[in-house]
Amino acid sequence: MSTAEALVLPATRTSVTWRLLRSELALTFRRPRNLVMMAILAAVPIIIGVVIRLVGSEGDAGGMIAQTAGNSLMLTVVSLFVLVPLLMPVAVAVVAGDAIAGEAGTGTLRYLLTAPAGRGRLLAVKYLNAVLFGLALTLTVATAALLTGLVLFPAGDVTLLSGTTISLGEGLLRVLAMVGYVAAGMAALAAVAVALSTFTEVAIGAIAATVVLIIVTQVLRAIPQLDWLAPYLLPTRWTGFDGLLRDPVPMSEIWQSLLAFGAYIVLFCSLAWARFTGKDITS
Amino acid sequence: MRTGKLVRWGVPVAAAAVIGAAVAAGPVIAAVGSDPVLPERTASQLLADAAAAAERQSGIQPMSGTVTKTASLGLPALPGADAAGGDSPLALLTGAHEVKVWYGSGERFRLALPGEMSEKNLIVNGGQAWLWDSASNTATRLKIDLGPQAKHTPPTPQPTDMTPQQVAEKVLADAEQHSTVSVTNTDQVAGRAVYQVSLAPKDPSTLVKEIKVALDGETYVPLRVQIYAKDSAEPAFEVGFTQLSFAPPAEENFTFTPPAGVTVKDQTITGAELAKTDRMDDMPALKTVGQGWSTVAVVPFELPSDAQAKQAVDSFLKGATPVSGTWGSGRLIKTKLLTALLTDDGRVLVGAVTPDKLTELAGSR
Amino acid sequence: MTVESPAELTVRAPERAPAAPPAAEDPAGGAAIVTRGLTKRFRGGQVAVDGLDLTVPAGSVFGFLGPNGSGKTTTIRMLLGLVAPTGGTHELLGLPLARALPAVGAVVEGPAFYPYLSGSANLLRFDAANPAASGRDAARRVGRALERVGLSAAAGKRYRAYSLGMRQRLAIAAALLTPRRLLVLDEPTNGLDPQGTREVRALVKEIAGDGTTVFVSSHLLAEVEQMCTHAGIMSHGRLVAHGTLTELHAGRSARLRVETPDLAHAAGILASLGLADVRAAGEEVTAELGEHAPDRVNAELVRQGVAVRGLAVARPSLEEVFVGLTGEGFDVDG
Ligand SMILES: Nc1ncnc2c1ncn2[C@@H]1O[C@H](COP(=O)(O)OP(=O)(O)OP(=O)(O)O)[C@@H](O)[C@H]1O
Ligand SMILES: [Mg+2]
Repeated sequence: MSTAEALVLPATRTSVTWRLLRSELALTFRRPRNLVMMAILAAVPIIIGVVIRLVGSEGDAGGMIAQTAGNSLMLTVVSLFVLVPLLMPVAVAVVAGDAIAGEAGTGTLRYLLTAPAGRGRLLAVKYLNAVLFGLALTLTVATAALLTGLVLFPAGDVTLLSGTTISLGEGLLRVLAMVGYVAAGMAALAAVAVALSTFTEVAIGAIAATVVLIIVTQVLRAIPQLDWLAPYLLPTRWTGFDGLLRDPVPMSEIWQSLLAFGAYIVLFCSLAWARFTGKDITS
Repeated sequence: MRTGKLVRWGVPVAAAAVIGAAVAAGPVIAAVGSDPVLPERTASQLLADAAAAAERQSGIQPMSGTVTKTASLGLPALPGADAAGGDSPLALLTGAHEVKVWYGSGERFRLALPGEMSEKNLIVNGGQAWLWDSASNTATRLKIDLGPQAKHTPPTPQPTDMTPQQVAEKVLADAEQHSTVSVTNTDQVAGRAVYQVSLAPKDPSTLVKEIKVALDGETYVPLRVQIYAKDSAEPAFEVGFTQLSFAPPAEENFTFTPPAGVTVKDQTITGAELAKTDRMDDMPALKTVGQGWSTVAVVPFELPSDAQAKQAVDSFLKGATPVSGTWGSGRLIKTKLLTALLTDDGRVLVGAVTPDKLTELAGSR
Repeated sequence: MTVESPAELTVRAPERAPAAPPAAEDPAGGAAIVTRGLTKRFRGGQVAVDGLDLTVPAGSVFGFLGPNGSGKTTTIRMLLGLVAPTGGTHELLGLPLARALPAVGAVVEGPAFYPYLSGSANLLRFDAANPAASGRDAARRVGRALERVGLSAAAGKRYRAYSLGMRQRLAIAAALLTPRRLLVLDEPTNGLDPQGTREVRALVKEIAGDGTTVFVSSHLLAEVEQMCTHAGIMSHGRLVAHGTLTELHAGRSARLRVETPDLAHAAGILASLGLADVRAAGEEVTAELGEHAPDRVNAELVRQGVAVRGLAVARPSLEEVFVGLTGEGFDVDG
């Protein structure tokens, strides 16, 4: 047993971070709670699809329902539209709000830090993990919706909101872009939740605070007198993925939303970092 | 040791400062940058230039952009305004509203009203026009038949009433008579240097403090209209471009093929119908009292007999102030820009005037 | 035994020379832990640790003693970088903290693991957090660590189902994942059965035998007496005693105990010989032995006709030293 060997760093910083991230991902994607959440959200498109199949065939239902019944791709859009305002953010908040507070609550945080994971690295890994969970969740929902759509509804050209028709291939590309957009929106929320998570030792507190914040911003958004505030609120930006269904695609608005997500990420990650690197770990 | 406390918290503070500056500084930088661009003009010079430009260009220049309308009239929150959806008439009264516009050369344009997961489109290509509503999944083929007498009337369907051009022309027409007119050359709208024509009413009994019209410094196209109420630094009503490009828009914008599986309807609009909607003379009972800025509309009014509508009116009138005078009695609603009086003898008076003036005008039948 | 000049205590540094630490890496001159004026004042004004000057010689087994709430855990948290000191400095292995920590194994305030993971999955998780450990031989390391604490059989069991003793063992296994130069154990025998306690003691001895410095906080004084070479005693956030065990004992002299029916007579003789603190109770007379030779005292007693049934010299236990320094009271420090 050579004690000197302990001081030799075996690999580069990135490979060390990557190993910790893998461990983190394994923890997240093996945790029954998270898997149940993903399964429930993946079930939503299936339920919507079956309901539309039953209702939509009963004659002249208008708008989205008719479009969904008419094209297999539209179920993905409808499902995202239903899940993005509340349910997906809540699921992301559960994972991201748990990030630091959960470890503090079980006491494992002190062992991770003496291991030593390094505070900056641990925070980065925790945040990346939440971002990847958001992406995986969006992909799961989109995939479930796509498969359900293909089984229940005819495949073919897609009608955009502007009334233009595009090919199925381009439609798929646009759905992929939507997944990216929604995942970016969830990444912005994850930054908020991780920041809140560094301020408490009770995971449920950070999660609840994030969910309350989502609901409050949704309410603020609905108040006409506060319209000037709406563009700065995350929920307003989340549903902006419908821009990808217009012709021409309003790229400037989409870039603005992505910039807004970026601003949230920078602000809240730096807050989390400032808090976490200076925090006394007494749990 | 760990990074100092000051340094650590300095990072998010700096991030917040940079983001805040980026959000707030956009218009500031634009305003500073535009200062020296436009030569000074008096109001009459400007109008002449604009008229000359209009002559030269014969019609609308090809362009595309986003027109946003914001109204903060200080109305009580309207029940059902949200439920009615983003582009319902109720929602138009409060809050922001966005229209995308594409003008091509010739009589071709497209207007799009984006809603959340929906879009309404009006596509006009010469005599051929389409109305597309994604929410109901219907396309309407509009045939515009102007008739022999109306050759010179542009085929302007109703949504263009919203565009700055129309509003500005109307405002400029009767300007000098009742208002003080001034011009500034330092502003920017949608990234373009503009002349701002300001009209301040001379009449003390109006609620309007000032109306500002922004004209593009190059093409003299009106880009924005703002109405300011007294005692308010923010405009109570604003319609203008928030994004604008004078590059000719892509041709695809002006063609429309109804998608497969969509209900297609046909509708013909005659020139007579257009003229009618323009002048709103389908409301024959409308008359006005007062003059200039104090002009007040008088409409006969009957409480609806339908119970549900009655309840809606009642709940809306709950916030109204009961008033009375030699003219009788009634209930008064005041917003930043408008005052409305519902008299007990069944009239509604609406005008951009103070409550005192309105009750005074209520006496003059 | 002195608090003021801890440096002189480091003179009696390891005879078992540590295998690894290169001298160039150790500016502290063979000290595994050095603190100077280390202070922690919690928000709210509570001073948990107050001006701690501690030197733990490399290769020693250092017992860190103190009543509940005297600041032991807070000190350990500061040493490991979990809590920021409000004053003073500290150094582990003569290295910056981030470089020292991979060579430090720690158990802080009891075990803490993911309840839904098995024992070995838990260890893999903490191994992944160590930048000095490579992922390739992680499984082997985990297996060996579990074996060392006797948990091989329960490796696949969920942590939720572990008993208190098994959890404590798992925490020690986590501290032993990679070869360490310093082991910091905060009450490692808490909740262990007698065999477990013995095993931990044996383990500590074995680890120390490899040249690893062990810093162990404990309440079990007998425990410390059996496994430690050095000890420090905390009271109200201050270090009240500090040194090798011999040095700690040296401060208190042994007591002479005489078993006799002639209580008054014997007591008189002892007093006349100059022994201090003479007490008579039951069938016994006791007195502080001081510099006197016990055989001489015995001869004198017998010469004067005292019926001596038994005579013994009792060296003070660490417990007596401890109680003498920290007080008899049952109240915790706070
Ligand atoms: N997070 C905290 N905030 C305020 N005071 C604290 C905090 N943690 C510990 N203390 C106080 O600091 C003092 C020292 O606590 P510490 O846990 O270091 O004692 P200890 O010696 O480990 O006790 P024990 O033997 O019971 O484990 C106690 O008075 C305690 O109340
Ligand atoms: Mg303790």
